Formats: sequence, C-alpha cells, structure tokens
Amino acid sequence: MTFDFIEPVVFALLAIGVIAGGAAVVLLSRITAAALLMAFTFLSMAGMFVLLGAETLAAFQVLIYVGAITVLILYGVMFTKFSDRPRALFFQRQTPLAVVFVAAVAIPVALLSFSFTSASPRPGGGDLSALATSVFTDFAFPFEIASVLLLAAMVGAIVLTGRDDPEEAARRRRR
Amino acid sequence: MTVPLGAYVAVSAVLFFIGCAGVLVRRNAVVILMCVELMLNAANLALVAFSRKYGSIDERGSVFVVFVFVIAAAEVAVGLAIILSAYRNRPVVDVDQIHQMKG
Repeated sequence: MTFDFIEPVVFALLAIGVIAGGAAVVLLSRITAAALLMAFTFLSMAGMFVLLGAETLAAFQVLIYVGAITVLILYGVMFTKFSDRPRALFFQRQTPLAVVFVAAVAIPVALLSFSFTSASPRPGGGDLSALATSVFTDFAFPFEIASVLLLAAMVGAIVLTGRDDPEEAARRRRR
Repeated sequence: MTVPLGAYVAVSAVLFFIGCAGVLVRRNAVVILMCVELMLNAANLALVAFSRKYGSIDERGSVFVVFVFVIAAAEVAVGLAIILSAYRNRPVVDVDQIHQMKG
C-alpha cells in the first residue's frame, strides 16, 4: 500500500486553511478575530512550506509571522479603539473551549514525552545548509543591508511612537 | 512532488487577490496592514514553489523569501507606528477620515 494520496490531501487541507483564513480576515468585522485568523493563515502557509521541503522557512514563518507580526498587530488593535466592535472581552469568555484545546494539546505531548526513545539524529539538516551557504556567500551584502533596514525600522518605530515632550506627556497623564 | 506546481501557484494567486481585495475594501488601517501581510505571504508561497520546481541547489528563491520576511517585519513595525501616531493625533483608524495631510 502506497501513501501517495497523503500529500494531495494535506495540501488540500492546508489550501482550505489558507484561503478560508484569508477570506475571514477580509470579511470579519471583529478585528481581534481577524487578527487571530490571520495567524491561522500564516500557520497553514508554514505547513505548505514544509510540504514543499523548505523546513527552515517554515520555522522562520512560525517565528516571524505567527509570533512577531501577529502579536504586533494585536498590540495595534489593543491601542486603537473601534466603534464597530460589538462585544468587548473577546479573550475572557472561552474558558471551557480553552480547557478542551489545552487538554487536546497537553495530553498527547505528555504521553509522547514519557514514551520517548531517543532516535538517531538525521544527518544534514534539510534545506538549512544550502540556505545558509547562499545567504553568507552570494547574498552577504544584501544580508547586511537587511540588518541595517531592521535597525532603521526599529529606530523609526521608537521615534514615531515615543513622546519626547515631557510637558505634553504630563498634561496627558493628568487628563 | 505529487502536488503539481500549478496548485501552489493557484493558492498563492487566490490569497494575493484576497489580500488585494481587502486593501481596497476595508477601511480600518490595521486590517489594511493585515491584508498587505497576506499579499506578501502569497508572494512567498509562489517564490518557494518555483524555487522547488525550477531552482538550482543553492536555494536562491528561499533567500529571497528570507529577505521578504525581513522587509515584512520592518513594514509592519513602521506601519503600526504611523497608525498609532496618527491615532494619537486624532483618535480614528478609518483611513477615509485620516486626511489632515491631504493637499
């Protein structure tokens, strides 16, 4: 029995996840739910990267998009007020559902961690070595430029959002 | 690779147009930023898929994806900073109402 049918099935599930999540970002009026579904879209996209054999990029995708960018956007949602939000306290009313999800994740992890036998590590490391060779030889200069860009973006974000006028800050605090 | 390249490119195109429609339709600045991220991610998927199908051993398509990650992170940081400073000036996030600098 061959398992050739698994890859198209996984691809179909991930494609449904990507497209449904993306459509929900556009269609939903609740911004927090849209942001969380955007994270779901990014996770499905990481699954597609794994399916394409780019495991390193999938790890970057989870770290940068699902981790950093989604959290940043959720902070942006938090600091701006919306008139079209019908219900507040979106995160604090799903305790039973949260218990179910935590159990569904935690119980298999606990079982696996106690029944784990150390396997011999696979040599190589996927696409990481080829990617690193390319980044640090042919693309070394663009890589440095990218790091300068990130530094500039960080300084720019601090300058744009920081209050440098102490009187104005004190006036706002008194208000 | 049993899933054809066209399937990946089709998903990428659909997600790109969803993001594009979101930028054009939604009027909340934060949602517009989210839709821009969706479009960048769709481009990433196309880059990785073509790199797997036609790329050489040195993973150049994946390197471009890494640079897209960097630029997306910088873009969302600066974009949110601009939205927040505009919001502090006048508490609206509707891009139709942010027109103080309109000539």
